[in-house]
Amino acid sequence: MQRTDLFFERPSSLQATMPPEARHLQRDEVRLLVTTPTGHSHTTFAQLADFLEPGDLVVVNRSATLPASLPVTGAQGDFLLNLSTNYGDGVWLAEPRWSTSEPGPLPLAPGDQLTTGSADLHLIAPYPGLARLWFVHTEADLCATMQARGSPIRYGYVTNPYPLAAYQTIFAKVPGSAEMPSAGRPFSQRVVRSLRQQGVKMAGITLHTGVSSLEIETEEVEAQAMYAEPFHVPIATARLVNATRQAGHRVIAVGTTVVRALESAWDGDKVCPARGFTRLFIHPERGVHVVDGLVTGFHDPLASHLAMLYAIAGQAMIQDSYRAAVQQGYLWHEFGDSHLILKG
Amino acid sequence: MNKVALLTGASRGLGKVIAGFLAAQQYDLILTARGEADLKATALELGAFGGEVAILAGDVSDGAQQQALAKMVAQRGRLDLLVNNASILGLSPQPALAVYPLQTLETVFAVNVLAPLGLVQMLLPWLEQAQGLVINISSDAAVGGYPGWGGYGASKAALDLLSLTLANELRATGVAVVSVDPGDMRTQMHQAAFPGEDISDRPLPEVTLPFWAWLLAQDSLLISGQRFHAQAEVWNIKV
Repeated sequence: MQRTDLFFERPSSLQATMPPEARHLQRDEVRLLVTTPTGHSHTTFAQLADFLEPGDLVVVNRSATLPASLPVTGAQGDFLLNLSTNYGDGVWLAEPRWSTSEPGPLPLAPGDQLTTGSADLHLIAPYPGLARLWFVHTEADLCATMQARGSPIRYGYVTNPYPLAAYQTIFAKVPGSAEMPSAGRPFSQRVVRSLRQQGVKMAGITLHTGVSSLEIETEEVEAQAMYAEPFHVPIATARLVNATRQAGHRVIAVGTTVVRALESAWDGDKVCPARGFTRLFIHPERGVHVVDGLVTGFHDPLASHLAMLYAIAGQAMIQDSYRAAVQQGYLWHEFGDSHLILKG
Repeated sequence: MNKVALLTGASRGLGKVIAGFLAAQQYDLILTARGEADLKATALELGAFGGEVAILAGDVSDGAQQQALAKMVAQRGRLDLLVNNASILGLSPQPALAVYPLQTLETVFAVNVLAPLGLVQMLLPWLEQAQGLVINISSDAAVGGYPGWGGYGASKAALDLLSLTLANELRATGVAVVSVDPGDMRTQMHQAAFPGEDISDRPLPEVTLPFWAWLLAQDSLLISGQRFHAQAEVWNIKV
């Protein structure tokens, strides 16, 4: 697949610049585009249950968002260090940025020291193939540092800061994501109740997201380097997924993170309980084995996640749905509208 | 007190990448390799991170060299990590087994199998004390059966079985042992395996950095006995 296959035109006015609550909407009142092989329909997220069937299994991500953006000082001056992934033993992957709106690269070298509050960090090495990300090491407790000094990671299109609560889904249980697993954001207790009443089952995985989803940089999409993310598929979820598939019902992932976790736990025959790191890149050539549908946001042109969407529902159907979304003025990004994709 | 790691084959390629990752985390390092000039250059480079970098050039299959390394560990009174990375291909190009010179094969096994075991035997008291981890660097040739790779592959298959058996034998002592297939990489050894061929499509050994970052942070007894692929899409702890 070529990089150009992931390109489309989208006016920048279609980026959500604030949470729906700031636009006087409840979380579940954002718009929902439903894409199936027979066409598209337009509704609100509160109506999600209308499009699912008894026996379907909805799998959500239980990861909670960290205040992962830290102000740091180094020889280069003051800038931001967005923590992406906790590897453990004081090693983190992080993205140094000049500011929310100015990415980098910064003139950094292995061994450089950065300071935030009382915490010292040292640069180890850039991530192979993704030079904007650096491994850093610290003896300090960065979780405590984040509580004291961190804020949710934000990019230029979100004009004002919002509290961490705006970046948590109702499923958030296990802190660890650099950025909100945002597909779950429109879910409310009433949406969950309506799913239960419809006979839809629910299960959870944990996948801690890294910093912003990747833009494909290589001409050949499959050659793109992927960074690894921690994930956990519990036994109970693996069993429910397998039972759902055996009974001929559908597995609906809430978010690309859930697709990545479930497909990473697939052994060629069934989903197995799993705990580790995954850098699995799901594209049409690889295909999907576990999920039949996906609740997700709208992804940027050239986003690696588009290749996953193509893998689930086919390039033509997804490109058609994105034309419809642009035409109908759906909103992009973590505070934007929602998209239910059913492969039929 | 800094953690201490001993790495063999540490002057270049994969060994140097792992050593650099540890140096940047303030490990004290004991490095060995055959080439003294490369080893000195590596020590100079990694010393800039601030930790201690001690070197001893020599052949790891030489018992005296192993004893000298053990003495360096004893002087520091601590060993958290042993990386058995040094290995030899045998001949370049590699001969088919039917005509493989047995004397060369003995040397391959001495370096790739007996030396790692010798070091584990000698360093065990320190590894036990630190509840340390032994990483043995393996290869897909250990399971591939690729024509021409029989000598080197057999040595790595033997090393894999040593790793698994040691993991089981040492579990009660708290010492963990894993085997890691780093995958194809653009290194001098890989070039020797494909003499005259263009190997520029293979990634540099730095490609394995995220894997080491992940592996070294795991509870070592949970991963002991496992065999990992550093370039795999998923690094899983058996649950």
